[in-house]
Amino acid sequence: MKPLKIGITGVRGIVGETFTPEVAVGFSQAFGTYLDGGRVLVCRDTRPSGPMVRAAVVAGLLASGCEVIDLGVCPTPSLQLAVNWLQADGGIAVTAGHNPSQWNALKFVRRDGLYLNPVQAEELLDIFHQGEFAKARWNEIQTGLQQQDPINQHIEILESVFATEMIKDRQFKVAVDCCNGACSRLIPRWLEKLGCEVLAINDDPLAAFPHRPEPSIQTMDQLSAIVKAGRADIGFAHDADGERLGIVTEQGQPLSEELTLVLAARIRLEQTPGTVVTNISTTGALEQVAARYQSNVVRTPVGQAYISEAMLEQRAVLGGEGSGGVTVPEVQLSHDSAAAIGLILEGLAQSRQRISAIANDLPQLVMMKRNVPVEPHLLYSVLQNFRVDVEDEHLAYDLTDGLRVVLPEGWVHVRASNTESLIRIIVEGKDEAQAQALIDWTRDRLNR
Amino acid sequence: MRAIPTLKISISGVRGVIGESLTPTLLTRFAQAFGTYMGGRTIVIGRDPRTSGEMVKQAVVAGLLSSGCRILDIGVCPVPTIQLIVRQQHAHGGIAITASHNPAEWNALKFIGRSGFFLTAAQARELLDIYHQGEYTRTAGAEMREVAELSGATDLHIQTILQALGPLPATSRRLRVVLDACNGAGSIVGPKLLEALGVEVISINATPDGSFPRPAEPLPENLAALCAAVREHTADIGFAQDMDADRLAIVSEQANPIGEEYTLVLATRYVLDHSPGPVVANLSTTSALQEVVNRYGCQLVLAKIGEVNVTEEMLKQKAVIGGEGNGGVIYPRLNFARDSLVGMALVLHLLAETGQTVSELVRSLPQYSMIKEKLVCPSDKIAVVLRMIRERFAEYPQDSRDGVKVTLPNGWLLVRGSNTEPIIRLIAEARTETAAQDILSNVYQQVHDLIGS
Repeated sequence: MKPLKIGITGVRGIVGETFTPEVAVGFSQAFGTYLDGGRVLVCRDTRPSGPMVRAAVVAGLLASGCEVIDLGVCPTPSLQLAVNWLQADGGIAVTAGHNPSQWNALKFVRRDGLYLNPVQAEELLDIFHQGEFAKARWNEIQTGLQQQDPINQHIEILESVFATEMIKDRQFKVAVDCCNGACSRLIPRWLEKLGCEVLAINDDPLAAFPHRPEPSIQTMDQLSAIVKAGRADIGFAHDADGERLGIVTEQGQPLSEELTLVLAARIRLEQTPGTVVTNISTTGALEQVAARYQSNVVRTPVGQAYISEAMLEQRAVLGGEGSGGVTVPEVQLSHDSAAAIGLILEGLAQSRQRISAIANDLPQLVMMKRNVPVEPHLLYSVLQNFRVDVEDEHLAYDLTDGLRVVLPEGWVHVRASNTESLIRIIVEGKDEAQAQALIDWTRDRLNR
Repeated sequence: MRAIPTLKISISGVRGVIGESLTPTLLTRFAQAFGTYMGGRTIVIGRDPRTSGEMVKQAVVAGLLSSGCRILDIGVCPVPTIQLIVRQQHAHGGIAITASHNPAEWNALKFIGRSGFFLTAAQARELLDIYHQGEYTRTAGAEMREVAELSGATDLHIQTILQALGPLPATSRRLRVVLDACNGAGSIVGPKLLEALGVEVISINATPDGSFPRPAEPLPENLAALCAAVREHTADIGFAQDMDADRLAIVSEQANPIGEEYTLVLATRYVLDHSPGPVVANLSTTSALQEVVNRYGCQLVLAKIGEVNVTEEMLKQKAVIGGEGNGGVIYPRLNFARDSLVGMALVLHLLAETGQTVSELVRSLPQYSMIKEKLVCPSDKIAVVLRMIRERFAEYPQDSRDGVKVTLPNGWLLVRGSNTEPIIRLIAEARTETAAQDILSNVYQQVHDLIGS
């Protein structure tokens, strides 16, 4: 099957296969109809299909009566902030985030800069499927596009939130890998504002992605080498649109993307105890860190929109996901890797600790993931039987998203894949052996 | 009768009303079909200044990029400029975003092939087949090509005209010209060309903002403002263009519209004076052209209506000039396109060279009067109407290449369905207006009743 994923994070697919100009035009018309005209911002990341998809989006928005402001190439968080200062009614980011280069996607941003929540996303989908879009008449249609560059404003907002002077005094040397993505336009300038000496690689927005645009231990080799060779204090790795952040210590050790949020929480909660919001398949190390600072963790289903809404509700001091996305609410209620960098450098400056020392101080847990293929017609009965077993054993479980069971050795999260006929198992234990034991425990009960 | 749809997909392109039928999905699909048809090569795009132009352009850009084309965007410009750039840049095709003389709520795509020719009927049918089949070339991101912007395309157009025809010869008196560009694509480039030719220019309706200060067709009844300006400034000539600057009409120094039929006749006179040769026009062109061509001992070939039919025939005949009676002058030395800019240059050269006024020149031409009517007509009635005309005038010579043209003892009658609108056109020409009116009114009521029944 060729994938076209239509879900709460927007619509996403492979260009040249499922993600056609018609899909982009139709969704943009639906979004313009949903907003009832109004001012809409459009930006894109650097993947090569960006100009095509952007043109389709602009056509759809103009046809449905919107005023379009084109932000060009910029991180999605820059657009989310610009919705506010440009007094827009919404935005569309043309980016497939961490997906490989052949993918593209539309992410829909509402008037307050957040992604559409699940109810709103459903409404948008209903309009799309119904296919009856608002049509601006010739004397209502906008005759041109305005251009704006949101990068300076993004940096000004970041400067006002973080202790810029304190960070400047430390004169950090920072290595960054922008993956030739939209961050190439933001992150090096932000670091220079922070008085850092910047060692930037892959910061050409016109070049192809040098590796998968997903910060992980596997994609940070090059950055790690630069940190070591340049004797940098820290290295930061980016996805294509500025949401996810990966970290390399001053010793050149890449940290798992699961640790970015934990590290940010350790720094944040030390300054300001409070609630941290994350999804239910992110590491339990967060609870352990929160406990050290009399803080707590609230968990949501997987998806940024759930985290943003829960943060709003809980007055959380931090949010994020195991993928490397961190939300600093003083900047905005969405993942923003530039804000995460500000928070981490501020923490380093204040504590006068090395990044490796902070990382070594974090709880060391082991996470394991397995995919178990199941025949399509049995998928949900297998899951139901698993739930009955868990109930029979009187174990505590959570149904926020699939089934999450907490055991003395750690936790287990079991759910059906949204896109393929398989069950995803994620477990976390104190060490490798415990994690393996949790996988075995789960597979026993799934009879797979 | 049910409402007649506003979408018209035909061999002339696709045209429809913004906010009704001409949706971005339809446009992006047509652009994909064209990109697929062209095999993903370099395509020139340009547009007229209609308010919907930007939306249509973005939909076209998405479709062309998706089908693997490289795009050369030349911005707001006359259609003949797009055709000229396709030829000069050796591009593989072009898309003109313009509904030419249709009112402001319309827009359209016109498809241009190699050398700047519009697609022929056969090519257009192939394109439509691809469009309807819906299997377009889909390019993966990594293979997608660029959108290049070419600024100064209209300056290239002016240079091309000046290099071929030169500025006007030094005369005792500098000509004074009023130009009415209908706030269209010719608003900027027209005055620049005229200044470069060495005349004094007074511009009216020269703000290309998508507003229509008058109906876009340069018909005599739409040229009151131009006539007034010619009178006020005691100009030697007034020129009127349509929205996409392919058609040209002329107002005399006495502030009289001379009739758009005479634009091609005057331009032909100048060209045949210098280089006699075959001339091609369409079936509904004035008989005055035939007489003028006869005076030079040259041959006139009449082609089916439609620019590409005329240009194809011109290529075949090695014509030195050609065009359509509605003010479309085609001068193949420069451009295989109806080009109002070329038309202005040719007519001004004729004025300067002869030293005569427009009125004097027109008086020296054979006098004919042409009357055009149109009736809204559902498609199933067109054949019925044409059969009636054929039977009624069975004893006279008829030409059935495009509707029916009947040659009568005192003139001719042409009845045909439009390619671009759900209407039927009735055109009659005779030596005098009364005689032409007689021919037309003779059949008008009968056609009207046939459609109504």
